[in-house]
Amino acid sequence: MSQATKESAKQLVKLLEKFPKERVKHLISFKESQLDRFRPVAGIETGSASEQSKPSLAEIKDIINRTSGPLGLKKDLLKKVQEALPEEHFNDTQIQEQIRSLNAIMSDKYKNYYAVGDKLYKPAGNPIYYKRLHDEIEGKGKETFFTAMRTVVFGK
Amino acid sequence: LYSTNNSAQKSDSTKETTSTEKGKSVAPEDVRTKRRELSSSKYESASYQLPKWKEALGEFVISTLNLDMDKVRAGPIAGSYYYSICKEQGLQYEDEPLSKTAKFFYEDLKLPKTFSQWYQITILHEWMLFVRMRAMPFKYGKNYQQKLVDRTFADIEKRLYDEMNVHSGRITDQYLKDFNSQLRGAVFAYDEGFFSGDAALASAIWRNLFGGKKNIDMVHLEAMVRYVRAQLYVLSKLSDREFAMGEFKFVPPDESVEILTPEQEKSLKEKVVAKYEAVDANPNALPSEKSKFSYTN
Repeated sequence: MSQATKESAKQLVKLLEKFPKERVKHLISFKESQLDRFRPVAGIETGSASEQSKPSLAEIKDIINRTSGPLGLKKDLLKKVQEALPEEHFNDTQIQEQIRSLNAIMSDKYKNYYAVGDKLYKPAGNPIYYKRLHDEIEGKGKETFFTAMRTVVFGK
Repeated sequence: LYSTNNSAQKSDSTKETTSTEKGKSVAPEDVRTKRRELSSSKYESASYQLPKWKEALGEFVISTLNLDMDKVRAGPIAGSYYYSICKEQGLQYEDEPLSKTAKFFYEDLKLPKTFSQWYQITILHEWMLFVRMRAMPFKYGKNYQQKLVDRTFADIEKRLYDEMNVHSGRITDQYLKDFNSQLRGAVFAYDEGFFSGDAALASAIWRNLFGGKKNIDMVHLEAMVRYVRAQLYVLSKLSDREFAMGEFKFVPPDESVEILTPEQEKSLKEKVVAKYEAVDANPNALPSEKSKFSYTN
């Protein structure tokens, strides 16, 4: 592996570290899996970082209650598939391409370019739909039993 | 009733057409082409035209019972037409060449050619329609969403039996439950991404559409984010009336969407207003053509 590739990969890892954390825990995390993938290319030791991010017992229980794996795939198998790092070879231009795309994603390029405005963000049928969802995820406004029942009965 | 609308526009044609249409409406012998259709019902085939007497009866029923056509239309538009455009995006059969859009998903993005992958592609497109449906008046938007979901699961059940050879009701139910939880999870994740930003949307797409594979190409991910945002942009520019009448189709992945200039937007809006003002003002408009949806928003 050339020095240029290594340097680019380091840039990519730095960029990935700035990638916003998922607000809801899932079986797999985009940020972590990509960091695990590119750190060896950049020559950075893995391990310590992914150890920190290991979900707690409560989080694992929560994930299992919420989700089920893809059809016909056992959960441990899914995990093994995730962990098996495919043999990959990168060159400098490839990594630069990855950086460019990741930059576009992280700078909200398309959200701003294809702006949809309040027509879709505050939809006429249910203006607080996204706000409510967002507040719940952020932990700003918790749903109570009564607001939940209201949604069940009236649909919003 | 979707056919009613279509044939209503061509109401000048006389009896001659009915006899020629008769030959077309016969279901094709070949099983393969039959399966690709939405259903074996002749009312859903594109070439079918309702006989005049049935059409007249339909219009009579609508006007006497004073049916709310906006509600009735949810079935043919969301359940039939909108489902069909979502379904065909990733549709593929083993021994048949891929369509242009399917090529984008399976060859350019290198997604696996499986049933679950087809399902993921379908629900991504359905979710984009959900986003637009939420902006309709609540009662109607909800109904449109419901019809789209109902049709999806009815169709999957059929396809599991016919194409995937799942002949056990219990196993089919298990699959359907699994698909249901996938749908809920995907809609939630896409909603979050849509509202909070491209990074969250990209992770949602990566988890669902790309199945969370580790060796993802960020260029592909960027292409998908762009694709989704572009479709949503087009949807946001449609008025309720146009969308409810089924005047939308997805922009093919090999075409790019340009932002409208204010002048273009104004002239487009004027055209739409003129079109639907004419429909509303027309005293001879058929009862099935009437709608209370706004065409100015």
